[in-house]
Amino acid sequence: MYNNLKVIRKKEVQVETLLSSPLNLQVKTGDSGLGNLITESNLHRPQLALAGFTELFTYNNVQVVGNTEVYYLRSLDLERRKKAFENIVKFDVPCIVITNGNQLHDELIEIAKDNNTALLSTDKDTTTAISILSVFLNDQFSPHVTIHGSFMDVYGVGILFTGGSGIGKSEIALDLVERGHRLVADDIVILNNNSGTALMGTGTNLVQHFMEIRGLGIIDVRRMFGIRSIRFQKRLEIIVELEVWDSNGDYTRTGLEENSTKIMGVDITTVKLPIFPGKNITVIAEVIALNYLLKTYGYNASEVFTQKLNETIMKKTKNKNFTDERIINYFQGDLE
Amino acid sequence: MKEFEVSVVNRAGLHTRPAATLVKLTSKYKSNVFIEKDGMRINGKSIIGVMTLAAEIGSTLLFEVDGPDETEATNEIINLFESGFGEPI
Repeated sequence: MYNNLKVIRKKEVQVETLLSSPLNLQVKTGDSGLGNLITESNLHRPQLALAGFTELFTYNNVQVVGNTEVYYLRSLDLERRKKAFENIVKFDVPCIVITNGNQLHDELIEIAKDNNTALLSTDKDTTTAISILSVFLNDQFSPHVTIHGSFMDVYGVGILFTGGSGIGKSEIALDLVERGHRLVADDIVILNNNSGTALMGTGTNLVQHFMEIRGLGIIDVRRMFGIRSIRFQKRLEIIVELEVWDSNGDYTRTGLEENSTKIMGVDITTVKLPIFPGKNITVIAEVIALNYLLKTYGYNASEVFTQKLNETIMKKTKNKNFTDERIINYFQGDLE
Repeated sequence: MKEFEVSVVNRAGLHTRPAATLVKLTSKYKSNVFIEKDGMRINGKSIIGVMTLAAEIGSTLLFEVDGPDETEATNEIINLFESGFGEPI
């Protein structure tokens, strides 16, 4: 079911989108160029282009103008300054980000407006601004998929429940919410690979934390259980595949071998969980989360048990009674 | 597996009531139903999923029906969309 996932990638974002980045960008050129399209997540510092060398100038990147560029422009007289600035805005530059709260000369702002290039300014220093912008644009251009399932934060572990329609994913999510865990998204989960090493999951803006319970209809989890019952995003750590119990199914008994699913190049631990009447999936989900935490913090129950078993087998040199294998050697007399 | 496109013809689009009609229909069948619109791929048996598409009049949905009763399901889905869910066109 993960093979036919359709990976989508934005091809472009409008300059206006940058205004929602944590950089707190101020627009210096009114509406000019806010609709320009950014097609690359790379950034560029246009130092050589300002100096007149425009071969290999990656003009379609967002241009970051820091102290070096601003001081260089200041060192020029009016005509040469205008000429230098025109060197870069005569290309189809989507926007120019000015860092360190630097001010550009009024005549340069006018030139930018005339060329429909947006000038955005931030108080942050260049290194910080570049780092924030890179992360923001990487996220915007990151590959993502939509997947059918319920996505929960269980003890801080991101668990995605998948399985056929009507198998009870939403009911499990609701039961987990009732036990104090947090819903990220139900039904439609959007997974983003914005770091290359992890998948981040969220829901759609329309649905947010509404969910459908068969026989009831649509409910609003956030209103019903309060703000502590939800969150907007979570890293995906485990996929729990629910399926109707099949006596021929291949279910792990020891937990020594770990299955994983590759989604957008990231391996996600996957647990295939058979369900049948009387089985409490909620508690099992909590145990899956706790076991994952134990493993993450260096304790693997199945490996520890295997090691104990091996040691016991190796020690068995002479026949012993089974009672010799009790945890305690003798029962204390207080009968408690 | 059957793949086909349908258009929304009723004026109000695929709002709550038509969405409910659609998922009741798809849930009757054993086949898996997936619907794709604007890069969003959702399970055609989920009401929240179908409503998320927010399909307006004139929009096109790509259906993917896969299973033992895919032919009957396909016919009924196409009929439902062509009839505009019995709403003003």
